[in-house]
Amino acid sequence: MQEFLQYLISGLALGALYALVALGFVVIYRASQVFNFAHGELLTFGAVLMVWLNSPPQVGELGLGSVSVDGLGLPWGVALFLSMLVTGAVAAAIERFALRPLVGRPIFVAIIITLFIGFILRTFVMLIWGNDAMPILTPWDSMGSFELAGAMLDYNSLAAIAAAAVLFVSFGLMIRFTRLGILMRAISSDQETSLALGIPVGRILGLTWFIAGAFAAVSGIFLGVRDYSVDLNLGFVALRAFPAVIVGGLDSALGAVIAALILGVLEVLTAGYVNAELGAFGKNFHMVLPYVVMIFFLVFKPYGLFGTKKVERL
Amino acid sequence: MLELSGVEVVYHSVVLVLKGISLNVPQGSIVALLGPNGAGKTTTLRALTGLLDIHEGRITKGQILWQGQNIASQKAESIVASGIAQVMEGRRIFPELSVEENLFAGASGRPKKDALSDMEKFYARFAILGQRRKQMAGYLSGGEQQMLAIARALMAKPKLLLLDEPSLGLAPKIVAQVGELIQEVNKEGVSILLVEQNASLALDLASYAYVMESGKIVLDGSSQELKDDKDVQEFYLGVGTKQSSYRDVKLYRRRKRWLS
Ligand SMILES: Nc1ncnc2c1ncn2[C@@H]1O[C@H](COP(=O)(O)OP(=O)(O)OP(=O)(O)O)[C@@H](O)[C@H]1O
Ligand SMILES: [Mg+2]
Repeated sequence: MQEFLQYLISGLALGALYALVALGFVVIYRASQVFNFAHGELLTFGAVLMVWLNSPPQVGELGLGSVSVDGLGLPWGVALFLSMLVTGAVAAAIERFALRPLVGRPIFVAIIITLFIGFILRTFVMLIWGNDAMPILTPWDSMGSFELAGAMLDYNSLAAIAAAAVLFVSFGLMIRFTRLGILMRAISSDQETSLALGIPVGRILGLTWFIAGAFAAVSGIFLGVRDYSVDLNLGFVALRAFPAVIVGGLDSALGAVIAALILGVLEVLTAGYVNAELGAFGKNFHMVLPYVVMIFFLVFKPYGLFGTKKVERL
Repeated sequence: MLELSGVEVVYHSVVLVLKGISLNVPQGSIVALLGPNGAGKTTTLRALTGLLDIHEGRITKGQILWQGQNIASQKAESIVASGIAQVMEGRRIFPELSVEENLFAGASGRPKKDALSDMEKFYARFAILGQRRKQMAGYLSGGEQQMLAIARALMAKPKLLLLDEPSLGLAPKIVAQVGELIQEVNKEGVSILLVEQNASLALDLASYAYVMESGKIVLDGSSQELKDDKDVQEFYLGVGTKQSSYRDVKLYRRRKRWLS
């Protein structure tokens, strides 16, 4: 039972991070009808930037990591905030300079462009910070945990859940109740009408991408914290959030979040209980499971749990 | 106040759809623009409001003077801010937004306080919208949606309102209500350019009208003149309906005359 509770919390934490990644995809898809293939690289960028901003200058041996980072040594919270800001700005710049000029062209072109920008971003990160794993620091004891009803709950998972929850709730309130939220929903409902009403569509799309970029940074950072380090391949996790987007419905933020939580828990439970039973075959079965679920949905329920029917499949 | 002269519009760099449109909307008036399907009425409104871009259309010639400024090819946002609002063909309310949110979306350029107080005015005027303010707009009836679309456009406090076929798909009784609303709005000082296929409604409301076919203005005059015009009576007002095959032939002949 204790073990189960531990897995559950760990799974929820993983799911919460997948959910943040998925939310980034969905927010952009709803605004621009573009599947942003650069999203994974934004995760990497945000996390690496965080490490660089936060790591003290010239650290020698931090214990965990293999490489030392010559960082700026900014306080953790400040570094987190700046990383969100800069990653958001990068995302907004992608929208403004690469995608907005394409308005009216086939969506296909825009999607290829995001793939291409992803490569550029990856190369940029590699040139500046190299491709070794870098230790990521936390203000809490990243190995620490506390006991609840006999289960050991680790701080990293709880922090990830808390961070994701704060972002979900504030995003939800913003989209539902603020003027910006109303305009964002208007634009994703009908862009031409929004233009006709004089809504500053370009500016709001830019802002939407900014928000998605800031979310990417937070998800990248906490995924890094989960592994105690950050490297160039961190962004591949975005591919593992992909099933959540499909299962939840491509245009449903709530659906993606719920699906991501379920898939996260499923992944950790499978790793804990099922893999061992499957012998050699089961070694990485938990990594495959979300795709199995996704394929099941694509076949039997292509619009996902909450998606609208009219959505085209990519 | 609004003056189009020799406006030409091309879609996809090849399809010439407006072939030199000139028309005038004097301050405080209601002007009608009539014409059959595909004549280019909607395209004319797109040219006026900066919506050609997203249809890959472009103004290749001519001028659009609005209060002395050439607004041809300006951005939609700044055109709305300068006082031109539009109700698009097919109403185009945001179905999954509430009535209240729809209205709010129409006032994006104005202070929140003004928007809220205007909203109350609309609720007083259209009791139904008031009762359903929290409901999704997609659940409103067609007539209610049209009222909402007009109210939403008015939330921008325009000086000129462009209406694209507001009677489309509505029952006669509702059409009459829409007509009354248009008149009221006009009395409050908003000039109106009314695009219609329903000529009898349009000619009753407007003081002046233009008839457009295949991208050209083929006829214009005061509403009375047009009501007395034989061709208009026959093709737009449905007076003296004859057997359809015979009508088609005549339509073809008349149209040739207009176009020459
Ligand atoms: N995006 C577009 N690309 C190419 N051609 C277009 C486009 N939009 C409209 N057209 C063409 O331009 C012509 C005029 O269309 P428009 O929609 O302006 O007519 P309309 O008078 O509003 O017709 P209706 O009464 O049916 O609304 C039509 O022949 C139409 O096929
Ligand atoms: Mg039309």
